[in-house]
Amino acid sequence: MAYVALSEAEKTFILHGVEVISSVPLFNSLFKVSLFLQEDFRCDGRSRRDYRPMELETGLVSNASGSARLRLANTDILVGVKTEIDVPNPLTPEFGKIEFFVDCSANATPEFEGRGGSDLAQELILSLQNAYESPLAFDYRTLCLIPGQQCWKLYIDILILECGGNLHDAVSLAAKAALYNTKLPRVTATLLDAGITDLIISDNPYDCTRIGTDAVPLLVTVCKIGDYCLVDPTAEEEVCSTVSMVVSVSMRNETPFLSGTHMTGGGSMHRDTMLNCIQLGLSMGEQLNKLLVKMLKAEETRVGPKRPKTVGFLK
Amino acid sequence: MQTLREFTRKTKRGNILKIVREHYLRDDIGCGSDLCQYCFQNEAYQLTSDHEIKSSLFKYPHYIVLDTNVVLDQIDVLEEDVFHNVIVLTTVLNEVKHKSSSIYKRLNEIIHDRTRNFYVFVNEHHKDTYADREPDETANDRNDRAIRLAAKWYDSHLQTSQESKVFQRSGRTATRVILLSDDAGNRAKAEAEGILVSTAADYVKSLEDFPLLVDKLSQKSFENEKQALPQYPPHLSMKELLEGFRQKKLLQGAFQASRENYLEGSVNVENYEKAILIQGRESLNRAVDGDLVAVELLPESEWSAPSEIVLEEKNVYADDVPSEDRVEQEKEMLQQLQTAPVAERTPTGRIVGIVRRKWRQYCGILQPSLIEDTTRHIFVPADRKIPRIRIETRQADKLQNQRIIVTIDSWPRNSRYPHGHFVRSLGPLGNMATENEVILLEHDVPHCKFSEEVLSFLPKMPWTITPEDYAKRVDLRDLYICSVDPPGCTDIDDALHCRELPNGNLEVGVHIADVSHFIRPSNALDKEAAARGTTVYLVGKRIDMVPELLSSNLCSLVGGVERFAFSCIWELDKEANVLAKRFHKSVIKSKRAMTYEEAQVLIDDSSKNDEITKSLRNLNRLAKILKKRRMDNGALVLASPEIRFQVDSETHEPLEVEAKQMRDTNSMVEEFMLLANITVAQHISNEFTECAVLRRHPKPPPTNFDPLVKAARYQGFEVSTETGLELSHSLDKCVKADNPYFNMMIRILTTRCMMQAVYFISGSLQKEEFFHYGLAAPIYTHFTSPIRRYSDIMVHRLLAASIGADSTYAQLLERKSNEEICNNLNYRHKMAQYAGRASVALNTHLFFRGKEEDEEGYVLFVRKNALQVLIPKYGLEGTLYLKSDKDGKDGLERTKSEVVFTFNEEDHTQRCGNVIFHSFDPVTVRLSLDSTNVQHEKLVFRLVKPYIKGFSVETTTEVDPEQPPAKKMNKQKKKK
Repeated sequence: MAYVALSEAEKTFILHGVEVISSVPLFNSLFKVSLFLQEDFRCDGRSRRDYRPMELETGLVSNASGSARLRLANTDILVGVKTEIDVPNPLTPEFGKIEFFVDCSANATPEFEGRGGSDLAQELILSLQNAYESPLAFDYRTLCLIPGQQCWKLYIDILILECGGNLHDAVSLAAKAALYNTKLPRVTATLLDAGITDLIISDNPYDCTRIGTDAVPLLVTVCKIGDYCLVDPTAEEEVCSTVSMVVSVSMRNETPFLSGTHMTGGGSMHRDTMLNCIQLGLSMGEQLNKLLVKMLKAEETRVGPKRPKTVGFLK
Repeated sequence: MQTLREFTRKTKRGNILKIVREHYLRDDIGCGSDLCQYCFQNEAYQLTSDHEIKSSLFKYPHYIVLDTNVVLDQIDVLEEDVFHNVIVLTTVLNEVKHKSSSIYKRLNEIIHDRTRNFYVFVNEHHKDTYADREPDETANDRNDRAIRLAAKWYDSHLQTSQESKVFQRSGRTATRVILLSDDAGNRAKAEAEGILVSTAADYVKSLEDFPLLVDKLSQKSFENEKQALPQYPPHLSMKELLEGFRQKKLLQGAFQASRENYLEGSVNVENYEKAILIQGRESLNRAVDGDLVAVELLPESEWSAPSEIVLEEKNVYADDVPSEDRVEQEKEMLQQLQTAPVAERTPTGRIVGIVRRKWRQYCGILQPSLIEDTTRHIFVPADRKIPRIRIETRQADKLQNQRIIVTIDSWPRNSRYPHGHFVRSLGPLGNMATENEVILLEHDVPHCKFSEEVLSFLPKMPWTITPEDYAKRVDLRDLYICSVDPPGCTDIDDALHCRELPNGNLEVGVHIADVSHFIRPSNALDKEAAARGTTVYLVGKRIDMVPELLSSNLCSLVGGVERFAFSCIWELDKEANVLAKRFHKSVIKSKRAMTYEEAQVLIDDSSKNDEITKSLRNLNRLAKILKKRRMDNGALVLASPEIRFQVDSETHEPLEVEAKQMRDTNSMVEEFMLLANITVAQHISNEFTECAVLRRHPKPPPTNFDPLVKAARYQGFEVSTETGLELSHSLDKCVKADNPYFNMMIRILTTRCMMQAVYFISGSLQKEEFFHYGLAAPIYTHFTSPIRRYSDIMVHRLLAASIGADSTYAQLLERKSNEEICNNLNYRHKMAQYAGRASVALNTHLFFRGKEEDEEGYVLFVRKNALQVLIPKYGLEGTLYLKSDKDGKDGLERTKSEVVFTFNEEDHTQRCGNVIFHSFDPVTVRLSLDSTNVQHEKLVFRLVKPYIKGFSVETTTEVDPEQPPAKKMNKQKKKK
């Protein structure tokens, strides 16, 4: 993780913003009361349940089948989805395959140079795999072409261009957007002798199938600073946190479900805190998901089925 | 400006990839019109106002934009020098290239002809005319839209240019742009978009100055055709076919029509030992010889055997609806076949679809029409495998006695015959030049004039040898070199010398014309020569592989002139053992160019004793030793009857026929050429193990020899075919005292058992397979005739590179491309041989026109119903029918004459009364020409001796009217 040097005073300042309860004397004509107010006022003015502003763009990598770029304040992620034909795993003959790859660009921070980012990348890959593992979270059947013989394999390549904290959330949002944007060429299968099949692809580049992304999970990092939990930590806040919990939230029938959790940081958590974290994560995940789907749909109607005029960060 | 083109593609391994290409749009592409005032023109104007086509449809000057379908269907019209100011869009060009490479080539030739004013407009890269593919739009629709977009842009672009005051003052009519398209949908859309549009047919008909051009229009459908009922089952779609192949329900193969029976054909399918038989009109389902077709096998119970009947289609007329009785007749024939014995049945199938048409242009004649003033006619192709073709022409009277070329356009289900159109006339029937042209076309011999580009690579005349050339080459000008060739030969590519060395040994040199000095690799001249592959010799005509300047002048080693040569020089001892060899390029000056006869006279004339004579005698002596050694090794002496025609220099008609004579000098030259070829082959295969061009002659499979062994056994000779050596020895033993021609005939039979010799690349085969069976040489190549064979040029280059005499180049060592060239050479050689034979056959016919001659002949084979007779004098082979065909009136006639031949299957003899015919028996036959069929004139053989009453022709000139000669000669075949 990108290292941010903070002094003790700075840490305390952040901590106080999150949790310190200060007594504010309130004067009334009748009696003098002093109220205890929770500050809930982070360095950038957010409350504990607020996300920083996001920028999302899809379909900008023309070579990929689907792509998205997400900028969450200072965190910058680019995701491309490439497709390939593969043979399904014999244990799950009706499932397609997904493979994640995270590349921590040395652009993000000099520490990523060489193999510097591999630990972080590994952690992100693991938490994504964990979140996507359940067939309820991602319908692998939609990726299957011929059970037991041929299926799609999606390569989700994630490039971290800038680190500004809360990588898990940003990465999962970008991945879901890229999957939403992914267009698979329409394939029809013909039966050969001896049960072997052959694939025929449509010659019309616009004749495509989409991937069902309704249930695709999002990761919400719930960060424990002091006694309180908050979402979307900045890089500085992450330094102050002893432990965080990454909650993966998958939506089914408008209800959030937990599809995986993952702890980071050295500290430990009380059972109640953990349940609180999960609750917070689920409710945040639900909101995030709603907003993301809304934005993606809006973008799609704006652009239409045609390729967008290439204006964007790559041009 | 930039845009992207996206498409998905499936790789060989089954992966599906998305491929994205960058596509750049430009704003500096000129419109090519001299009217334009805005465009940046990067070349001279192609669209000029010099040419105006007068059309009653568009009564103003116009440029033409062509749709792809017009180019594909009407290329013959476009080739006529009528259309000018034509805009060819790259969209169209690409589509044509994709659909038909031959039409693409023809279109390109028109485009490059600058006098035709065809302008290629790069609309795909022009910023205003690029059409990006819309969702839900097929590739075809997009291309149509791109074409319309470009047509529209052109029109408005020119309008703005012509709005200027200057132009308006000039008082000229404004030039418009019209679109020609045969696609009704595209036309409707174009009209809606305000583009001037017409069909190709309407436009051509509206041309006032060229009324005859209409004939060349491709006929997809004839107008006001009464919608006849479909006569054929429909073809399956490409998709269904592919699916069928995948599921192995259908088989794919090349269709071969039968020459004898128009209702029969066969399809050669991979992995099937026998070709699949196709019988009946519906099963043939509009396949034309050569097409790649899809076949469905019939259930075994419906299999049948190939009929041995000769069935020729009777004359039919264009407006004829197939009569009921014809259908009956065909059915009857099929029924007969159904009853064929089970043992003879072969896999039978029916054609359900066409994978690829292999239609080409066909030579033939117009069938005289019964109805006067009709424009519809039936064309009868010269090749019997090709069905008759319906064409429309207004020049039938003119074309009646001409050989014409016709091409097939379509074959709809409701038409008995394919539809086609007239392409051009070759000339009057029976004319020598016309007939030669037919032979060349039918054998796919490239014979057009050499193009300007090819000629541009010829050395500039006057050509002189520079001092540099002398420095690079060994100077052999003072050696006594001479050449020996057949009379009248102008492309002399080999010369010889022999001199005694001080140590008593002999130095022998073979000097081959250095053609590779003039033909440099990969230029247009080289490519043309490689495509032609070989010089083709017809009677009285030669179709050169290289332009005449080289073949008859600069490369030809004519006497008394300095020429470049590639020399192969040996040191031999008196016993003709090779002691040393060397190769180098040289400058020679042949002392004399001789004919075989002249050389023979010199050798035999003991009074002569000059240098040339001496060296000839030495060469002759050495050649005899070499030949004997070769024979001892098992080389075969094969024979095929060869004849020469004395041709009248003016009319080109044959005056006299003579069999080719073999002299000592022939074999002298041959021996040294063989020695040179073998020496070079060894050298290049050592130097280039992977890519040497060699020639091999595979050993024939033992079954090939069956007819020979059987024929010899009837005569009491045993022919052993185990090895070449044994075969050669047993052939030598086949001598009959009473029949001097017997040995020759046995050798003719042996020749027919042989395989074709082929060129190949050394890396493609195992060393053991390099063997040349006929010559009994372990390795062989062609080195000695580079003027007339391209293979020799390749060998020259390899040899030159190996001795450092010439520069190398990348392609020299490229196996794949060289293999392709070899395949082409093998094909061209075969076709050249066939063309040569066809030419001899043609001249034989011309020779016998109006003549009847009695000739000595021999029975080559005894067949069930005929004798195969060989006439050595003319090298002719023909069939003398003993029994007439079952069908037709001739059968009745025969029974009347009561001449019955009995065929004895055991010893293969035919007996009639006390006359018995054995193989190899001498007979006398009367030859005459049957000209009842103008296209297929045939020589008729009639028996004279031994005399059989009622069958033989009377030797007296008067034929007894009481006894009509009941011979029936249906066909004659000639094989040599």
